[in-house]
Amino acid sequence: MYDLKKPEHDVDQAKTKISARGVQVFYGDTQAIKDVNVEIADKTVTSFIGPSGCGKSTFLRCINRMNDTIDICRVEGEITIDGHDIYAPDVDPVQLRAKVGMVFQKPNPFPKSIYDNVAYGPRIHGMTRNKAELDEVVETALRGAGLWNEVKDRLDTPGTGLSGGQQQRLCIARAVATQPEVLLMDEPCSALDPIATALIEDLIDDLKQQFSVVIVTHSMQQAARISQKTAFFHLGNLVEYGDTDTIFTNPRDERTENYITGRTG
Amino acid sequence: MTDATSDKFDWAAPAFQATLRKRKRSQLWLKSLGLGAILIAFAMLFLLVGSLISTGYHAFTQTHLRIDVVLDADLIDADAPERGNYRQILTNTMQAQFPDVADDRAALRRLTSILSNGAQFTLRDMVVADPGLIGQTVTVTVPVSDPYDQLAKGLIDSDTPEENRRLKDDEIANFNRLAEAGMVSKPLNWGLITNADSRFPELAGLKGAIIGSAYALLICFLLSFPVGIGAAIYLEEFAPKNRVSDLIEININNLAAVPSVVFGLLGLAVFIGWFGMPRSVPFVGGLTLALMTLPTIIIATRAALKAVPPSIREAALGVGASRQQVVFGHVLPLAMPGILTGTIIGLAQALGETAPLLLIGMNAFITSAPATPFDSATALPTQIFIWADSPERGFVSRTSAAILVLLTFLIAMNAIAIYLRQKFERKW
Amino acid sequence: MTLIAFLILISAVVIGYVLNLRSARALRHGGAKMHSLDGFHGGYAALMVLIPTFMLIITWLLFQGTVIEYLVKSGLPQDQLEGKGTGEIQLIMAEIRSIAGGRIFGTPEAWKLDAAERMVALRATSGGLLVAATAALAAVMLYIARRKVAADFRARQGAEGIIHGLMVACATVAIFVTIGIVASLLFETIRFFNMVPFWDFILGTSWEPQIPLREDQIAAEGAFGMLPVFLGTLVIATVAMVVATPIGLLSAIYLHEFASHRVRAVVKPVLEILAGVPTVVYGFFAILVIAPAIRSFGADLGLPIAPNTALAAGSVMGIMLIPFISSFADDALGAVPRSLRDGSLAVGATPAETVLKVLFPAAIPGIVGGILLAVSRAIGETMIVVMAAGLIAKMTINPLDSVTTVTVQIVTLLIGDTAFDSPKTLAAFALGMVLFLMTLVINIAALRIVRKYREIYD
Repeated sequence: MYDLKKPEHDVDQAKTKISARGVQVFYGDTQAIKDVNVEIADKTVTSFIGPSGCGKSTFLRCINRMNDTIDICRVEGEITIDGHDIYAPDVDPVQLRAKVGMVFQKPNPFPKSIYDNVAYGPRIHGMTRNKAELDEVVETALRGAGLWNEVKDRLDTPGTGLSGGQQQRLCIARAVATQPEVLLMDEPCSALDPIATALIEDLIDDLKQQFSVVIVTHSMQQAARISQKTAFFHLGNLVEYGDTDTIFTNPRDERTENYITGRTG
Repeated sequence: MTDATSDKFDWAAPAFQATLRKRKRSQLWLKSLGLGAILIAFAMLFLLVGSLISTGYHAFTQTHLRIDVVLDADLIDADAPERGNYRQILTNTMQAQFPDVADDRAALRRLTSILSNGAQFTLRDMVVADPGLIGQTVTVTVPVSDPYDQLAKGLIDSDTPEENRRLKDDEIANFNRLAEAGMVSKPLNWGLITNADSRFPELAGLKGAIIGSAYALLICFLLSFPVGIGAAIYLEEFAPKNRVSDLIEININNLAAVPSVVFGLLGLAVFIGWFGMPRSVPFVGGLTLALMTLPTIIIATRAALKAVPPSIREAALGVGASRQQVVFGHVLPLAMPGILTGTIIGLAQALGETAPLLLIGMNAFITSAPATPFDSATALPTQIFIWADSPERGFVSRTSAAILVLLTFLIAMNAIAIYLRQKFERKW
Repeated sequence: MTLIAFLILISAVVIGYVLNLRSARALRHGGAKMHSLDGFHGGYAALMVLIPTFMLIITWLLFQGTVIEYLVKSGLPQDQLEGKGTGEIQLIMAEIRSIAGGRIFGTPEAWKLDAAERMVALRATSGGLLVAATAALAAVMLYIARRKVAADFRARQGAEGIIHGLMVACATVAIFVTIGIVASLLFETIRFFNMVPFWDFILGTSWEPQIPLREDQIAAEGAFGMLPVFLGTLVIATVAMVVATPIGLLSAIYLHEFASHRVRAVVKPVLEILAGVPTVVYGFFAILVIAPAIRSFGADLGLPIAPNTALAAGSVMGIMLIPFISSFADDALGAVPRSLRDGSLAVGATPAETVLKVLFPAAIPGIVGGILLAVSRAIGETMIVVMAAGLIAKMTINPLDSVTTVTVQIVTLLIGDTAFDSPKTLAAFALGMVLFLMTLVINIAALRIVRKYREIYD
């Protein structure tokens, strides 16, 4: 099944899920991302770290083409998922985003019931044939997000009424419900307290059984705890990319070292 | 290529692709509905402006007749030239032009009706100004009456049956003879701006209405501007956050949404009924409009004050200025462009306001321009209302023309506001 | 004379400023340690003179007309006024006024000429007294202010206190306007209900105020039933909202979700033009273009369309309200946090699904508030209906028929000469009260909803 013509850049024998070659992103006249090349493995957690404004979030948003929604944003280069160029003209961002889920920095549940929040994706995509199937999908997603036991008795209450950590897990359930292959997370814990963060981190560890998870984080400890691979971004450049252990213990680049040891930030 | 297992949803399935196509179609639908809605709004604006221009442009010219008039000394008393029989002079003039038309009074009257009713007053004013003219022959250019003006502008279709036509065949023939003699001209109609109102469309102008509106706006500005700024500064910078301030705030927001006709009732009952002020005068109109404009100015001023960053206040307070010195010395000047913009927009609204002015009687028929704000007058919008209500055909195009004049003023005011906003807009 | 009074006022203000400024400066040069800057001493004096004197002039001007009128009226020979109603007395007073103003028509009776003469004399006296009073008050205030100048006098606090008071006064003007509205409406409405029973007005189904019946008959006939007028208002407002709501909402959705920046930059100002057109212009547009168009369209279909059909006035009013609703809806959609939009797009929703299923429901409170404000405008809108709707009140909900509205009746009842004691005039105030209360309730509800909604997302 694997496409053998793909360049072999296996680090851990896992197959490559996402591959970016020569990606550049411009906002109007300013360049936000400069020539990023990266291969992201399937069923692993990859974290993007780096100082604020280094372009890690921008690059993340390229992977499900969320940057399309910003008028002045322009993406060059090639990003492939399973070998398909996602910026090819025949690719529909709507379909792509169903396959590449995303969780945002601030929990953003819709002002609807918990059930409707999770069922939103399956419903618009017409993934289920009847209510029973939809119920099942919702339950699976909520279980997958570790929220089922907390909310199973109040599925029809508003999602906005949950606590911050629960809201974020609801958003994860919402993203998982469309059965994506990749899950992008943009600083998913930055608005949460340590206990809620720990729950989410456990969850991410579970989620990598099913998808390739890409997470942007400000916290180096978090990156070290949960990810197998780490990419360090600096001023729009991908400075260093490799096994998390290697990056944190034995960085090759001086900039990475400075950042990790806290000399720059 | 994907390692899709049986329980995974198949994104490439034809069923999903069909759903996707359907979703795209409904997206297209929504988009075209939205675009259609905007186009309807645009079409209405286009229709509005188009209909006004297509009917109104006629009124920007006025058909005139250039004619030699013998100022017969028998008909004018040199000692009292203002009491001369100028009507007879005009009748004689027209008779001289058409010697072949039988000397019967009815035919003569119809001939004379080619000329505007105002022609006799034009002659009278000439003679009063220069009594030496009596007995001489002068060449005057006078407006023709409304039906002939319409005829000259091609608005009377000679194909309609004679009995349904405002001018009969012989009348059209008579007028055509004058036209062929080169006596008819269609100069720019300055009378539209320099004349006051009149029962005769060809003489009716907007001078009284423009001056009336100007007085009313002046009064409105003089009252609402200082009071509005004072109230806004107090509420934004000094008022303690308590129930009274809340009450004032709610009150102002509600006042801004009270129907204008209710302000008219207020003006009628309070200013005219209780204080015994005269009806139909721009002063009372201005007072009423000021009450209506006040909430607009307060709201705009507060927004402008809010836009001045607190750092400016803190900096000035930090060097020991009093709070009033800060507000009047630093905050207010910085907020001024915003305040002026809001005020001009408020005044533009007041200029177009009609209903309250109707209730305080500014729809009276007044044939002279007001000299002071305490003289009876109309205003531009009420003049439009009066003309729109008048049965004479000529008033249709006059109404459109008056509206175009009003819109010109409004556009000018808004342009000034936009200019101010752009010139002084500050990014903090 | 008024002009002279104002000139005195201005010069006194200037003199006060200069005097106090100079004496403060002199004190400082003399070595005194002044509490306030010289300018504040000057400003204090100027304000001390300005405010009381200005108030005096304004009060005088407001009441001199009423007082003179009263004096002249009470000086009229009693035998001439006997048996005359207030309307006739008003006419006599108007004649006296015009004689006093130098406009004499025909040959008025001698007692009228006397009265006019007295009026002229009273006016002259009043003018003289005003000037004298102004000068006296200004002088007193100048003196008081001048005496205050001293090293330890807190002129800044004094001046700022006065200014503060002035600003408070300005802020309360808004309250007084509301009180004025309520008082004037209430006062005349109560007088109206003394002539026409309350329930006849509220529940009556026949409105025929123009029919000249004898005074005692009007109430008995029950010709002042507001229901048909009210119903007509609702019919026209409904037509307007049926036109404005879908067009306004759809254009807002398009502008918010699908239009590029450049399109927005063109469309929004054009819609604002639509909102800035005076209503009298819309009224003329209705009778010039829309009503004939609807009539000929109806004639083609064989529909019986009245010349003043509610459809014409209503649809033109709808056009007027399009920008109102669209800008409210656009703002409401824009106030929904971007993260919700991102969340929806990120699970693969199309922009259309995002706006319909997420943004729109989230923005509903703001949009409803805007629509309510538009309804209140439609109910209170006057000129369009005065020009394009009918005058006869009918109990019908057929928009093809001609109906009348509350505002039309207010204007037609009050246009021309009005005597404040005929039920016809007072009925207009009663209708005004109904209109004011209706719009007030809607406005308060709408503003509440909008405010609540802003709090959610702020």
